[in-house]
Amino acid sequence: MQAKDALNYDYSVAKCFTYAAILFGIVGMLIGVVIAYQMAFPELNYLAGEYGTYSRLRPLHTSGVIFGFLLSGIFATWYYVGQRVLKVSMAESPFLMIVGKLHFWLYMILMTIAVVNLFMGIGTSKEYAELEWPLDILVVVVWVLWGFSIFGLVGIRREKTLYISMWYYIATFLGVAMLYLFNNMEVPTYFVAGMGKWYHSVSMYAGSNDAMVQWWYGHNAVAFVFTVPIIAMIYYFLPKESGQPVFSYKLSLLSFWGLMFVYLWAGGHHLIYSTVPDWVQTMGSIFSIVLILPSWGSAINMLLTMKGQWGQLKENPLVKFMVFASTFYMLSTLEGPIQSIKSVNALAHFTDWIPGHVHDGTLGWVGFMTMAALYHMAPRMYKRELYSKKLMESQFWIQTTGIVMYFSSMWIAGITQGMMWRATDQFGNLAYSFIDTVTVLIPYYALRATGGLLYLIGFFMFTYNMYKTMTASKAIESEPQNASPMAA
Amino acid sequence: MFHWLEKNPFFFAVGVFLVIAYAGIVTILPDFMESARPVTGTKPYTVLELAGRHVYIKDSCNACHSQLIRPFKSETDRYGMYSLSGEYAYDRPFLWGSKRTGPDLMRVGNYRTTDWHEYHMLDPISVVPGSIMPAYKHMFKNNADIETAYAEALTVKKVFNVPYDQADMPQLGTYDESKKAVMEQAAAIVADMKSTEVKEAFKRGEIKEIVALIAYLNSLK
Amino acid sequence: MEMETIRELQAYGYIFATIFLSVIMYGYLYHLYKAEKKGTRNYEQYANIALNDNIDDAPIESRTPSNKEKE
Repeated sequence: MQAKDALNYDYSVAKCFTYAAILFGIVGMLIGVVIAYQMAFPELNYLAGEYGTYSRLRPLHTSGVIFGFLLSGIFATWYYVGQRVLKVSMAESPFLMIVGKLHFWLYMILMTIAVVNLFMGIGTSKEYAELEWPLDILVVVVWVLWGFSIFGLVGIRREKTLYISMWYYIATFLGVAMLYLFNNMEVPTYFVAGMGKWYHSVSMYAGSNDAMVQWWYGHNAVAFVFTVPIIAMIYYFLPKESGQPVFSYKLSLLSFWGLMFVYLWAGGHHLIYSTVPDWVQTMGSIFSIVLILPSWGSAINMLLTMKGQWGQLKENPLVKFMVFASTFYMLSTLEGPIQSIKSVNALAHFTDWIPGHVHDGTLGWVGFMTMAALYHMAPRMYKRELYSKKLMESQFWIQTTGIVMYFSSMWIAGITQGMMWRATDQFGNLAYSFIDTVTVLIPYYALRATGGLLYLIGFFMFTYNMYKTMTASKAIESEPQNASPMAA
Repeated sequence: MFHWLEKNPFFFAVGVFLVIAYAGIVTILPDFMESARPVTGTKPYTVLELAGRHVYIKDSCNACHSQLIRPFKSETDRYGMYSLSGEYAYDRPFLWGSKRTGPDLMRVGNYRTTDWHEYHMLDPISVVPGSIMPAYKHMFKNNADIETAYAEALTVKKVFNVPYDQADMPQLGTYDESKKAVMEQAAAIVADMKSTEVKEAFKRGEIKEIVALIAYLNSLK
Repeated sequence: MEMETIRELQAYGYIFATIFLSVIMYGYLYHLYKAEKKGTRNYEQYANIALNDNIDDAPIESRTPSNKEKE
């Protein structure tokens, strides 16, 4: 705290998580592209025997991108942003350094075992919570370490007031902790019966209850992994990169509480017309609509931050990535509530429109924001300018094309499928057999997979750009205040 | 008060937690008792069926197949009677799925047979031309894990009072008794199958995954 | 407890919490503007925490007065 000339922010843990984000991004998205092509060309299912079928790979794709790519991205930005907005360096506390490193390595061990497990088909089948109990315990340990890191850093901070991004990081920590614990309540069978596989467990909840808990988790995992921490990122990185203070700090505070209050009620929209009580379904539907308000509160705040500065979109691809991300946030937070309306849901549920919706959120909002954040961090962490602006520009357009192909094909596929399922002939009999509704979609599946492939290519360009920035780019003398320096 | 909250991270965290936890308490907890009540006639799975359910989970069949028939005419015409909450009373975990890349399987036992499933798992296109489902040949090679299935049945019986070993309900007994019942149920399925590989393995006392899976699928009614 | 009593409690709990939290939300909105008007707080200045975030930038509000003197 004394010799401030010597004191600098310590990014060693942030760097580790950056590498992890890139690694898991490649793995998760590659598997995603493979399974997307499998739907159009089923022969691709047999590339790796038992371990290469769509059904084995699908949990790997979801877990890989959510808990591999995105969570690493969240941790990387936390270990970067946290220090800066609290104005305290991790180098000041050896304890927090150890916690940070331990956090990273345990996380890597966990992810490695998880990947192997999912390939082998070991899991509980609950979406986004497939891991069996021994790994669940490890998840809790990793999470608690992150908690130590957050609250430890908060404890030694210099800045008295917590910046809005901090609020969102804290909410992410608490939200995921609560959801994960309750959804993964299970009884290890070996300890009761004394036989069978030692890692096998059975859910504490049955049937409709299990479904309610699962979608309370599933929906809010989306909230607290895809939304809340990404808002934390954009509230820091967009103002910092553009040099513009947040348009209305008050609005950001208000949207925060709005989001916290409303989001958790909306999980019921995954279970509309199922066997959970009617009022749960209706409430899920209503709260999903109300959710537009706080979501758009944040998104509009971001767009207005750029007021009078739209020229930056032309000059700075990072600003372009982030503004595009918040636009996509607005799109998917409008689309989601529309799908939650009961009559729309009757058509859309179980169809490809749902993965379409998920992906315009994840590819457009989550992916773009995370990559922009890592781009922004790179010159500051490695003291070199970004390697290529041109590459970044082409990455932006290739990925944008990919996203548009993805969601437009899935919208058409989903609605076609939904309409065909319910279509009847003049006598009131079903007009199509199920397989008719599958074969008709194959062109759209091919289109979707190609969209995904474009996004993956963009991600490889990102990786290359980051790699060159780390190793071969021109060194910079002092840390840039706002716009990240980049070579043409 | 508000400003105080903004500067006290601990109480801030408590505040956030209360706001987010409240929804769960109100929506989820109160219904636990009611929706856990089984519909009359619903029975827990036999050990072989449970082993099949584990195969279903292991290969994530639920990634593409739902087990939830919604109360629309188009769905009841296609799949049968719409689902009731009590029918799931013994499903741990639930397997409703979230996507129908393939058809719903809630009542597949009513209209598909053992040999249909056998052909279908070996080569889906042979029975459903145009199908994009992968073949699951490895299910004819791997053995089903009866011990774990028995362990699970015993666990739910002890911990959640699932009515095994009662009148008109599946009998569990000791592991050896249970194994005998499993072999009997499996024998009936193996008899309907064509695969010599599966038949010969069964003679050696091995139950392949496919046998357990078919037992499970046939039990879905 | 009877299912109906639970249902009733649930409904009341839900209504009151919603009203309570809505009141708090609007109270917070009111507080934000009033504090700024009266000049007790300037919320917008906190936006600068992100902009001036070098380790040797002065904090917007230092945590302890002594800390501030040291910087």
